[in-house]
Amino acid sequence: MGLLEIKNLRVCFDTIEGELEVLRGINLNIKKGEIVGLVGESGCGKTLTALSIIRLLPKTAFIKSGEIYLEGTELVKLSKREMENIRGKKIGMIFQEPSSYLNPLYTAGNQVEEAIKEDLPKIEKRKRVFEIFEEVGLNRSDYFKYPHQLSGGMQQRVMISMALINRPVLLLADEPTTALDVTTEAQIINLLRKLIEKYMLSVLFITHDISLAKSFADRIAVMYAGQIVEIGDSKEIFEDPLHPYTKGLVMCLPERYKRGERIRTIGGNVADFKNLPNGCAFHPRCPLKRKICEIEDPEEKRIGNRIVRCHEY
Amino acid sequence: MRTFLRRLRKTNKIAYFSFWILVLLYLSAVFADLISPYPYDLQHRDYPLCPPTFLHFFDKEGKFHIRPFVYNMKLVNPSLNTYEIDYSKIYHIKFFVKGPKRKILGIIPSERYLFGVEDGGKIFLFGTDMHGRDIFSRILYGARISLSIGIVGVSISFLLGLLIGGISGYFGGKIDTFLMRVVEIIMMFPSFYLMLALRAVFPTNLSSVQVYLLIVVILSLIGWASLARIIRGMVLSLKEEEYILAAKSLGLSTPRIIIRHLIPNTFSYTITALTLSIPGYIIGESALSLLGLGIQEPYPSWGNMLSVTIGNLRILTTAPWMLIPGFFIFLTIISFNFLGDALRDILDPRKW
Repeated sequence: MGLLEIKNLRVCFDTIEGELEVLRGINLNIKKGEIVGLVGESGCGKTLTALSIIRLLPKTAFIKSGEIYLEGTELVKLSKREMENIRGKKIGMIFQEPSSYLNPLYTAGNQVEEAIKEDLPKIEKRKRVFEIFEEVGLNRSDYFKYPHQLSGGMQQRVMISMALINRPVLLLADEPTTALDVTTEAQIINLLRKLIEKYMLSVLFITHDISLAKSFADRIAVMYAGQIVEIGDSKEIFEDPLHPYTKGLVMCLPERYKRGERIRTIGGNVADFKNLPNGCAFHPRCPLKRKICEIEDPEEKRIGNRIVRCHEY
Repeated sequence: MRTFLRRLRKTNKIAYFSFWILVLLYLSAVFADLISPYPYDLQHRDYPLCPPTFLHFFDKEGKFHIRPFVYNMKLVNPSLNTYEIDYSKIYHIKFFVKGPKRKILGIIPSERYLFGVEDGGKIFLFGTDMHGRDIFSRILYGARISLSIGIVGVSISFLLGLLIGGISGYFGGKIDTFLMRVVEIIMMFPSFYLMLALRAVFPTNLSSVQVYLLIVVILSLIGWASLARIIRGMVLSLKEEEYILAAKSLGLSTPRIIIRHLIPNTFSYTITALTLSIPGYIIGESALSLLGLGIQEPYPSWGNMLSVTIGNLRILTTAPWMLIPGFFIFLTIISFNFLGDALRDILDPRKW
């Protein structure tokens, strides 16, 4: 049994036209110490998956059905108060744009200190903050700096300190490096890798960069239109993608091509949740489309240690 | 504080000046018993409606005195209150002269006054009222009421406004609808009539302190509504900010998020609004006192000092110095307005 288990999670938005299902039966397991990369195009429901785990969906969205277990505890059924105790303590989350996720009014150290869940005297708390600052590569003097005085990379380090200061078991990383430049990205990724190993963290690493996911994650889950279409070891997924969408994603990567060669892209547009096609949501863009794809939504099929949702298999 | 002053001086000279005027006014209110040459209720029976005494440096023979001095006034026509300067004797101004005993700040007993004149002389810098009380001293004592009522009133109504606005904006839904209807009901009444009605509910034979507290409560019960509505609007937009989501993801409790993260982010607005709404309270108190519903004689407030004047046209023409409290109201209000305007520019935390 994994540390985190998501079973048939369905999340809907309340709209004027009725319920709009945006997560359509997510099944995902994360083992202890495992990094799972969640990959997909913008708007496919990656962030929503993370937000449903931590139960911070936008007001108009709600979990329609499904179960989420963290160390055997059903999160969906927990009360607000109980969930407040899980957040921060068991689950840490880091976000995409560190500058806007830090409160501009408080110093970095202040905000990290506030995240400490244990009831400690102020000096102890400050000591804890200094310790974690050292771990993430911040100076003690950064404790007294306001977010706008820090660079993007440093801000992200502060976010990481906030997320990890209570030693959670699960880290939700929602595109933590997207807003950073390449060199900073590499630094942050290395830092995360180090910390994850040290604390035996399980990580849900959300990204739209499949090559980053490959180098960082143990397993990759590929999402399309609110469904996970393929899960497998990151290496295998890369070398032998099963689902046509994964194939398309992998084929888009420039490192696969020689100089001067034309890069292939996936035709068509991202599926619109308001009028999803019948059957498989990917079929309008799928090169391997068959009759059945337009009629029936494929079930999850297990092939070896991989799971794929496609009529091909 | 020092950076604040430097920024204030750089961005807005008038506001900087206003700031120091206010500091001066508040200091003189605090140290009223030290500065005022007479107690506020001391009646100089021989000097009703005496015009302001001038400070002289040259006597009648043109001789120069380093120490300024005053001449006494002589009442020539008691029915018309006309005065003549009595040149027969000069009274030098002295520091720390003896006078009736009183307690400075209510603690330190003292019979010395900061300044005054030698025995037998009288000094009325702003003249006297019809009971012969020194207006300068009364303005200093009145400042205690008039200046503090703004601060106290504003803090009560801001506490209410911030909390109710914060709750309303954060939770939304039914709570929001209910609270906002309450706000609208309060805002629906013309505030001055509401003030009068509220005051009329309570008995008139209260002590000065009770009346003071009553006025503060009445004024702040009216004042919080409009602020709550603005705070609600700000919180509505602020709660969608990403750092609120981050705070939630750390498992902070709702009250904590409202108090620590939402409300402080409205401060750049609220501090400005705060300074700009203090004058409203000063005027409110003055208006109530003017109608005889505020601070009762003999204790002075700027409002009730004016009320005597406004009611009597003859006094207005023959003793214009009775209007000096009005000038102080004006000075305070305009200073607060300038300061508030400047604060709007320099208090945005994102610009620090």
